[in-house]
This record gives sequence, structure tokens and C-alpha cells, in this order.
Amino acid sequence: MNVIETSGLTKVYTSSFGKKKVEALIDLNLSVSHGTIFGLLGPNGAGKTTLVKLLLGINFPTAGNAKILNEEPDNYLIKSRVGYLPENHKYPSYLTGGEVLNFYGRLSGIDGIELSRKIDELLELMQLRKWKKTKIKAYSKGMMQRLGLAQAMINDPELIFLDEPTDGVDPIGRKEIRDILLQLKEKNKTIFLNSHLLSEVELITDRVGILNKGKLLREGTVRELTEKAEEYKISAAGEIDLSAFRLHDGILLTKLSENSYSVKVKSVGELNSVIDQLRQNGVLIKEILPQKTTLEEMFINLIRESESAEISGKEKI
Amino acid sequence: MQKNQSALKNIWLMTWFTLREAMARKVFIFFMGISVIVVLLSAAIFSVIETESVISGFTTEGKDVILKEIVGSLELMIISPLSALCLLLAIFASASFVPVMLEKGNIDLLLSKPVSRTQLIWGKYFGGLLVVFINIGFLITGVWLVISIKFSYWDFSFLSLIIIITFTFAILYGLIVWFGILTKSSTPGMMVAYLIFLIVSPLLQLAKDRLNVLIESDFIKSVIKGLYYIIPKTSELMGKITQDLTMGKGIENYQPVISSFLFLAVMMYLSTIMFKRKDF
Repeated sequence: MNVIETSGLTKVYTSSFGKKKVEALIDLNLSVSHGTIFGLLGPNGAGKTTLVKLLLGINFPTAGNAKILNEEPDNYLIKSRVGYLPENHKYPSYLTGGEVLNFYGRLSGIDGIELSRKIDELLELMQLRKWKKTKIKAYSKGMMQRLGLAQAMINDPELIFLDEPTDGVDPIGRKEIRDILLQLKEKNKTIFLNSHLLSEVELITDRVGILNKGKLLREGTVRELTEKAEEYKISAAGEIDLSAFRLHDGILLTKLSENSYSVKVKSVGELNSVIDQLRQNGVLIKEILPQKTTLEEMFINLIRESESAEISGKEKI
Repeated sequence: MQKNQSALKNIWLMTWFTLREAMARKVFIFFMGISVIVVLLSAAIFSVIETESVISGFTTEGKDVILKEIVGSLELMIISPLSALCLLLAIFASASFVPVMLEKGNIDLLLSKPVSRTQLIWGKYFGGLLVVFINIGFLITGVWLVISIKFSYWDFSFLSLIIIITFTFAILYGLIVWFGILTKSSTPGMMVAYLIFLIVSPLLQLAKDRLNVLIESDFIKSVIKGLYYIIPKTSELMGKITQDLTMGKGIENYQPVISSFLFLAVMMYLSTIMFKRKDF
């Protein structure tokens, strides 16, 4: 079941006098399944926050439509099943941590003993229990992020949007937040994560989308996105004498390290042909692994490709 | 039914939260401080006045009439300048309620909760009104109690001023809310509210009542008349209507009240519509 669905979603921001138009999101089609962690990656200004705002009914689409939990975002009642941590969240500085959770909890439709219990439970989870009665102006950035996360979880939501949740949090705090997100996933919650911390996204997400200049460039599992097309690493029992034989069809075997080689092929059939040739030449193969790139490498390459394609497109015009 | 109950609960929550915001910003405390000083000063001044010597020469029936006159005049003398000052302070204090709510990081959070935009804006509006109602109520009730105890004359009509002054503020606050949504800033709304309260409304009243005979052009007369009916009549509300209510005469002409209320209705309608369509 899809928890988030968009079809042809487009958002164009127009300046006050209509002179300047910014295409923040262009014809976006996306779906996120129930109980998964979806990571949306993109450089600053890619349209990540705009997408979340459209899904939450904070902004209105120029064209297309969006659905969360099978409802239109302008049905405000659906938000009792949703949690949100905005990027630069701002809570009134005169409130204590406990009061912040109390206010947003009541706005989310819970109160009484249930709310008090939930506040204590979340403050404990976020290690903020002893700060419950301290005004938040005394909180550090990391504490504010953890309080924000508690706020997003106060109504025990089915779907949680997190915009840069580990922003300003130290490495230990990040690990703790990641663990909390994984716990939430175990409880069958769906998490939509906006981040530019690629290593973090790589560690916890089931699927990843890459957005640049309002366009969804790629979408898939981290494995799908990081696998290099038809490139394999071959580990042999001993060193292969590359000068001794030449592979058919101009296929090149490149040495990576001792007893370790890389080969680029066009198909699985071609890979098998390489294996046959190596075996015929007495090479003992220990391991064949598809070559992977890091998410960061893939992300940078993809953004560069999209930008150079855009530049060449403009030049042609 | 349940939806309506939750709507009222949400509006009340936003109202209560605005009151909390006012208290945190010391606005509420400052207002209360002024009111306490005024009430204590009044009590101190009246404690040295001998009431019996003022009314000793009158018969029982005459005493009632003269007491009513004295009490009304004293109340008016204290409240007239103070209510105007309170209204100026109230505009200053409340102008930022809506722009602060619309700040990035704050409005996003509010709109991500199961609260409609209409509930948010009306909750904020009622919150501002409640702040002013409590303050004005405290001031007027305090002054009324001091004078009533001193003269042993209990004129309850004076308390209706709490409603009329809060109503005057409600109209200007409607304008401030609309400007707040339009500009996301407190300054323009505050400036326009001051302009209407201090200059435009008194001038239009003067032009309509006194200067009309000096103006020959029918076109200008029509423009003035049109503006007079469009612009809220804060000058009359805080002037003649306040005076008449203090003296226990009641409201003779309801036109300023009704036309000002219509202005408020238009402002709040526009505010609600605009807020419901705005991107944040």
C-alpha cells in the first residue's frame, strides 16, 4: 500500500508582481510504500522542502496532485496521523520542553493522562527528561533537534516527515536518531527523510529519490542506485598475467590490486564468456562481485550530468 | 458535532496560547501594572475627598441626581484619557501576534497539525481580544469599584465601557490581522491602525458634522460621506458613545457601531480567505 503518492506534481513560485517565476517542482511522480524509510536527496534549492510542504498542505500545487494516507493534503484532519519536523523549526522561547510537547500534543488532538504519559516517554527516549522544566532558550542545537523529533512523534503518527533531522547534532546524537528511526520502522511507521547527509541516508533508507532543480532524476533502493552498470570485480587465486592473453571483443581486464581485477562488460553473457576465457587460461577464480559506487559518488555524478545536460540543452536553443 | 467540538477546542487552544504569548512578552504584566497604578492612585485621591460635604445641601432625591452626575463625571475624567492610552498600547502589543505566527518554522509546524487555517487565524484573533478584554476589564472594574465604594453609588452602566472599548479594539485588530497576513509584518498594520484611530476617524467625523457646510463641491461631499461610512468610527465609539454610556444615557445612534462592525466583518472575511490560500 502506498502512503504517499504524487502525480504530475508541479509547483511554480511567482513573485509578487508576477515578473519572476521559479519552478520549484516539475511534474513529479512518486510513491512511497507503507512501513518504509524513504530518503529524498538533493542539493540546496532542489525542491525537497517544497515537496514536503505540498504533501502537508502547507503550500498548494500549481498542477498535479498529491495524496498522503489516501487523502488530499488539504483535508486537515488527516494530519492527526502525520508527524513533521521542519528544517528550521521555531518554538516559542518562553516555553519549557515539556510545554512545547504539551502544546503541539494538544493541537494534535491528544490530552489528559495520555498526553502526560507520552510527553514523559518521549523526553526519556530523547534523553531530555531532566530538561523538561527548563525553558528551551537554554537548549543547545542538538537538544532542539531531539525535542523537534519528539514533537513529530507526539501523536504516534503513521507517517513522519523529517526535514534534515540530524542538522546540528553531534555524531553520537546522529547515531541515536538513526536508531530511533529504525525503531520506528520496526513499528511499521513510514518515514520520509529529507537530507543532504548522504552517508546517513545510505545507512537507514529502503528507497532513495534524487531531486535536482525540481526534477526527480532517479529513484530506487540504495543498492540499485549504487551498482555500477555491468562492472565486476574478479578476485583470483593468484596473479593473472595480463600480457599472456587478450580477451575477445576488446574487453579489458584492469588490475585493481594484488590478485584483484576489474572488468567492464555489456551483458551477463559477456561476463560468462570472460569467466570461460580466464578458466581456459588456468586462472582460478575466487570471487566475482558487482562493482559498487558510493551513494555520494553516484549523487555527485548524477547532479553533474543533469546540469551539463541542461547547459548543452540551452546552448542548442 | 465532534468536528465542531474539535474546532472550538482548537480555537480555544490558539486563544489560550496567544494569551500565554502576551504574558511571556510582558505586555500583559505592563498593562496590568498601569491599571494597578491607576486604581491605587484613584483610591488614594478619593480617600482624602469628603463626599458628605459635597452632597449635604441636597434633598434625598436631589442627592441621587447629583451623585449620578458626580460619579459619571469622575469616571469619565479618569477613563477617557486612559482608555485611549490603553487602546494605543493594545495596538502596539497585539500587532505582532499574527506576523510571529507566520514566521518560517512556526507556521509550518502549526499547519502540519490537524487544525484548519480558519481555526488558527480566529484563535489568534480571539487571543488578542482576550488580552485586551482582561486588561480593560481590570482597569474599568477597578476604577468603578473605587468610585462606587467611595460614593456608595453603584452605577453598573459604566461597566458597559469594557465592551465598547474592547469592541473598538476588535475593529482595529481586524485590520491589523489582515495587514499581518498580507505583509507578514507588524509595522504596516500598526501604522494604519494608529492613522485611523488618531487622524482619519476624528477628521472624517469633524468633516461630516462641522465642515460639511464649508464644502461646496458635491463630489467632495460624497467622497467624505463615503469614506465616513467605510472607515471604522473609532472616534465616535471612544468619544460620544463612551461619554453617553458613562453618564448612563445609553447609545442614541447605533449607526457607528453597526457600520464599524461591518468593517470588522469584511476585514476578518478577507483575512480568512487570504490565509486559506497562502503558501508558507
